[in-house]
Amino acid sequence: MLKKRIISKVLLLALILVVLASGLALPSCRPAQGIPRGWSGVSIIDDALFLGSMEGKLVAIDRSTQGRLWPDVPFKQKQSSGFGCQQGTQAVAIYGTPAVTAELVYITGYNGKLYAINRETGATRWVYPREDELDPIVGGPVVSGDKVYFGSSDGVLYALDAATGDRLWIFESGDKIWGTPAVNGDAVYIGSFDKNLYALNVADGSLKWQFETEGAIVGTPLVYDGTVYFGSFDRYLYALNEADGSLRWKYQAKNWFWSHPQVDDGIIYAASVDGKVHALKAEDGAVVIVFNMESPVSSSPVLAADSVIVAVESGQVYSLDAGTRQKKSLVNLEEEIYAPLAASGGVVYIHSADDVLHAVDARSGATLWSLELESE
Amino acid sequence: MVGEIWDLIILSPMINILIVVSGFLFNNFGLSIIVLTIIVRGITMPLTMKQLRSTKALQELQPKMTELQKKFGKDKQKLAQEQMRMYKESGVNPAGCLLPMLVQLPVWIALFQSIIRVLAVIPEDFLKLSGHLYTAWPQVFSLVPLNSRFLWLDLAIPDRFLMLPILVGGTMWLSQKMVTPRAGDPRQQAQSQMMLWVMPLMFAFITMQFPSGLALYWVISNVIQMGMQYFITGGWGGLASEAAAKPAGRDKKYLTRITTVEKKEADYGETEADIGADVGADIAVADETQTGGTGPARYQPSLRAMKRHPKKGKRPKRG
Repeated sequence: MLKKRIISKVLLLALILVVLASGLALPSCRPAQGIPRGWSGVSIIDDALFLGSMEGKLVAIDRSTQGRLWPDVPFKQKQSSGFGCQQGTQAVAIYGTPAVTAELVYITGYNGKLYAINRETGATRWVYPREDELDPIVGGPVVSGDKVYFGSSDGVLYALDAATGDRLWIFESGDKIWGTPAVNGDAVYIGSFDKNLYALNVADGSLKWQFETEGAIVGTPLVYDGTVYFGSFDRYLYALNEADGSLRWKYQAKNWFWSHPQVDDGIIYAASVDGKVHALKAEDGAVVIVFNMESPVSSSPVLAADSVIVAVESGQVYSLDAGTRQKKSLVNLEEEIYAPLAASGGVVYIHSADDVLHAVDARSGATLWSLELESE
Repeated sequence: MVGEIWDLIILSPMINILIVVSGFLFNNFGLSIIVLTIIVRGITMPLTMKQLRSTKALQELQPKMTELQKKFGKDKQKLAQEQMRMYKESGVNPAGCLLPMLVQLPVWIALFQSIIRVLAVIPEDFLKLSGHLYTAWPQVFSLVPLNSRFLWLDLAIPDRFLMLPILVGGTMWLSQKMVTPRAGDPRQQAQSQMMLWVMPLMFAFITMQFPSGLALYWVISNVIQMGMQYFITGGWGGLASEAAAKPAGRDKKYLTRITTVEKKEADYGETEADIGADVGADIAVADETQTGGTGPARYQPSLRAMKRHPKKGKRPKRG
């Protein structure tokens, strides 16, 4: 009887240990939260398009033939193995739009790494950090002069040597950085979840000024005519003096500003997730017109064919002109759109959430081609 | 359509309330979850009380159920009929025990969805948060994303130090142990022992897969459950040592009905004494040994034993 009891207790203890061990092992390969997929935009240089696919690959496309310039470059991260787990690696989500120079393509991964890829061959030149990983990177890289800048969820803005990937300086904010920096002259601008917009000296990362809002900042600032324009989660679009960060004006919408504002002919176009595009006079913030888009807008608009092209989350693409107060429907891609738009030569490139790249004529709205990025 | 209704009446209110409460509690999301747990348990209190009373009444019917199983074990249909009759007459609804848990299921799902949105776990989920924020409540826009740190925990991810899985499993085990009867039948004893372990282990396992914020809800919820059980069922129940076990009286609501059922069953036993006679005789002999054989021949002995030792539920020794 006593022996039976001991055996049953040992079995129970073993069961508890198995449950705990398997529970510990599984989270690494089967996260309970959603799976990050990414929403990389497109970089255009010469006749080539570069973007990150939702399979975690850098894709280089010849835009005249829609063929690949070189085989897709996959980015993988280690997947911990354990009880009930499949061993191996998993694709890296890519949210940032690649930055391209004459030699290299820079791309950030949600695995906390920045990759520099040879633009001609697709070979990896260097990776930062070489060992380990930073916290997830959501924003894209920006190259200016001999430096490449990017922010990470660890709240740090990094400035690296663009040629070698050596770290030149860092700037620590108070919370996550999800935005892409903007560089103008001798200053780099970055928003943080700590509700501040920072202006830093490009030379050494020292603080020029900072401006505190009431909400987190994700969107990339726009620098135009001596003013820095950016939106915040407190629902305001701010216009700050570029020299000292003093407030020129602010404008309130009904929900967050997530995307990068655009400027055309002295008018700021600020898209909000409240489903509207607010066209405001750059000099004083006076409302020119508010376009009702009937769906949230998180994708950054782009200028093309003398208009501002906007894609809403539901998949509809519009051409806006505040001067003539016209909103023209271009095409409905019938797929969600979160990635920032890119345009060149009157053609708009749209990366939709089903991992398809669309080329749309900015005037007629005709879909010139659609390319599934998913590899066979 | 269903998704929109869900968002409108459950998810969006929960998200906004969590954010606002967090703002009042030093931007501490952990405290906000604790307050939410107390609110939810407060709202579901009438159901919980009904469940506890029902559980208690079921425990008191247990000896009679054992007898029925012995009697009609081979005739499943008849057994089911008799069981239903007994539940009906005593006013006990076995499904009622599950109701508070079922009611909380949508809360768990909504809390999970809230956590992954307000803590900015991944960009896709965080972006969706904007559609849930009440534009009439300006403070919610300034407060997100919330701080995920609470004590040693990152509320957005599972607890790597294993403290929460242990706490969830431990508090659930204690809570269940309080209401688990000491069944006389070894088979039932084994079943209740299994149930006592399965649920806590399952929840401990789930805790290791889900954000700590959800597990925090379970721990607080279990503690509240234990407190309610203490006051409603009268003491620590199965947790108390046999000597210290307080005899808890039957709930007034069920007392009359159960007594009626007992009486009916006793009469039933007398008129149908030929059914399962060997079992009945066995118990009758046992009872006579213990009580002097004054009770009805079939069910009453073990029920009396239950009355004298209601928490222990111990069968009288066979003479």
